[in-house]
Amino acid sequence: MKPGESCVRERFRNPATGPAPATCTESFRKVSLGIPLALCILGVLFALDIVLGSVNIPLDSLFAIITGGEVKDTWATIFWVWRLPKAITAVFAGAALALSGLLMQTFFRNPLADPYILGISSGASVGVALVMLSSGLAGIGAVFAGLGFLGDVGISFAAMLGSLAVLLLILVISAKIQSNVTILVLGIMVSYISGAIVTILLQFSDESSMHTYSFWTFGSFSGVTWGQLPLFAVLLTVGFVVSFLLAKPLNVLLLGEQYAVSMGMDYNKVKNTIMVSTAVMAGVVTAFCGPIGFLGIAVPHFCRSLFVTADHRILVPTCVIVGGIIALATDIISHLPGMDLVLPLNAITALFGAPVVIWVIVRGTRFGRGVTT
Amino acid sequence: MNSPAVLTCKDLTIGYRNQKTGMKEVSKNLNLLLNPGELVCLVGPNGSGKSTLIRTLTGIQPPLSGEVVLLGKKIADHGPEEKAKTLSVVLTTPVETGFMTAFDIVALGRFPHTNWAGRLTEDDNEVILSAIASVGASDLTHRFIHEMSDGERQKVMIARALAQEPVLMVLDEPTAFLDLPHKIETMRILRSVARSTGKAILLSTHDLNLAIRCADRLWIIDRHGTLISGIPEDLVISGIFGSAFGIHGVSFDPVRGEFAIPIEKKGTFVLEAQKSVEQIWTWYALERIGYLPAEGGMGDITVTIRNDGGKTMWEIRTGAVAEECASIAELIESISAFDRRGDLY
Repeated sequence: MKPGESCVRERFRNPATGPAPATCTESFRKVSLGIPLALCILGVLFALDIVLGSVNIPLDSLFAIITGGEVKDTWATIFWVWRLPKAITAVFAGAALALSGLLMQTFFRNPLADPYILGISSGASVGVALVMLSSGLAGIGAVFAGLGFLGDVGISFAAMLGSLAVLLLILVISAKIQSNVTILVLGIMVSYISGAIVTILLQFSDESSMHTYSFWTFGSFSGVTWGQLPLFAVLLTVGFVVSFLLAKPLNVLLLGEQYAVSMGMDYNKVKNTIMVSTAVMAGVVTAFCGPIGFLGIAVPHFCRSLFVTADHRILVPTCVIVGGIIALATDIISHLPGMDLVLPLNAITALFGAPVVIWVIVRGTRFGRGVTT
Repeated sequence: MNSPAVLTCKDLTIGYRNQKTGMKEVSKNLNLLLNPGELVCLVGPNGSGKSTLIRTLTGIQPPLSGEVVLLGKKIADHGPEEKAKTLSVVLTTPVETGFMTAFDIVALGRFPHTNWAGRLTEDDNEVILSAIASVGASDLTHRFIHEMSDGERQKVMIARALAQEPVLMVLDEPTAFLDLPHKIETMRILRSVARSTGKAILLSTHDLNLAIRCADRLWIIDRHGTLISGIPEDLVISGIFGSAFGIHGVSFDPVRGEFAIPIEKKGTFVLEAQKSVEQIWTWYALERIGYLPAEGGMGDITVTIRNDGGKTMWEIRTGAVAEECASIAELIESISAFDRRGDLY
């Protein structure tokens, strides 16, 4: 070690003369308090989502159902068939949307990016529209219409096919084009084309299938059955694990592609992993729950502001938890406890979520932070 | 310095390969050398190929022929992580990330040294803090990068490159966008880093006079892609600067070591004064308004600087008229008044 260097290091060992050799202490302290707290909130909301609804289940009966005690049959059915799978779906879907939003915002270094920016959900909506609306059409439409007879499974399948087609298109083109701004524009173009196809299909379909389709676009956590839940959960969990493993490369991507490559990151590998896992998470959620907006763009900003960090080792787990919390909360509100009415989920996420996010961001801006990737 | 060179290149040709138009050579026959502890400045007019050379030397772009050898091994043969531990860069792209402190940014430089989770060990922390200290940014450690000035941010980016613990640092125009004192401060930091750590540093810059004052060696590329390497002073004396950079109407002043602003000549002057700061700046002021020093003893105007009991006075004479001035502003005012009245000639 050179003399000058050792003196510099010595200065840092001495707490009296230099700042303590601390890491990003503020964020980590917030996280060590915040994550357990957030998990508690998640648990409470999970229970509330099960208990509240058009028929409220009293808490003591809930315990009886779980422990196999004597309760009213209808309550047990509501719990097992409707409420429990719905709550589990909400947690997974919320977490997946938040995570894929985070991946896209970091990858494109754009605070406006969301899980659907690659055009994934647009592809899904074309698939779904073909199933629901194309009964009057010949050829390929008829094949898709055939899927419709499979019911909800057919719709999910069509949505996944649509997402997959868009993903393949994006992967092929992005292998040839290096600039990721181009991928961004490409995704938006795919959305326009899909929108156009759906509009044409709507024009030629009858009123009842139009209604079914628009109901799908509202989004809902109630459509996933016990039979589908394992596939749903496993695919999304793979997405969560991959995102967690991506935390380190995502951090260097904050400085941009060139810096990331100069530090030894395999850009193409990371790029493809990010795109595939985003597509899987956003595609699966869209396939089973419809195109749920807002969550994916808002939760990452919310977590950054809340924990004052851009470190993905913190953001990935907190996005999972906070995404789950917000999905549960919006589901509770949309089912209007004690009433038969169900409000569109997409309306609730934005109506109740946006003011909260605006508040967090404005509060953050006062400390000179604001929205950023 | 007897230690082996960090980077060498032999008969290197740089440029672009294009499927339609074939090869476009930017510069050829490059034989270059970067030694440990040496600060090298790459200068050249816009469009001369500085960026192409930097991209080729850092292995981002393949050479058209010849090879770049980094620590005895062809640059293309280095694995990505191995290369990252040898070579770090500071780019011109601005970093606008929010919610990151200087510490967080510099910690990213540990990327090739940490495990899959990017966990920082005690050692990593020490490297990060000493990198921040050696660019003089210790007081910025826990400040957010988006709250910093351009100069502070540049220090942090240099610290990040240092935390990568490379043998060679390459910086693309690190002094662009900075005001003059910060340009000088940045160069001072880089030079002291080169001296104290023995790293080789290559930087491209448009600040010629700064490069002449700070660099151990200059690489000048001219408009035709010819690269000349040498000690700054030798290059000034040999007149390379003028021929490499000169554009119509702008010429290099070898005495001052900078490009002179062309003068529209109005007349000649004689300046009678002791050598002093006032004398130098009066000289510059007269040149600026279009007067050149007279050959021989007779000029259109004669300016005398006197010291009247601690107060500096300028006296201007032309023909029979004379006037006393208390500042250079008044002096210039008088000269243009003479000019308007036609007293001068």
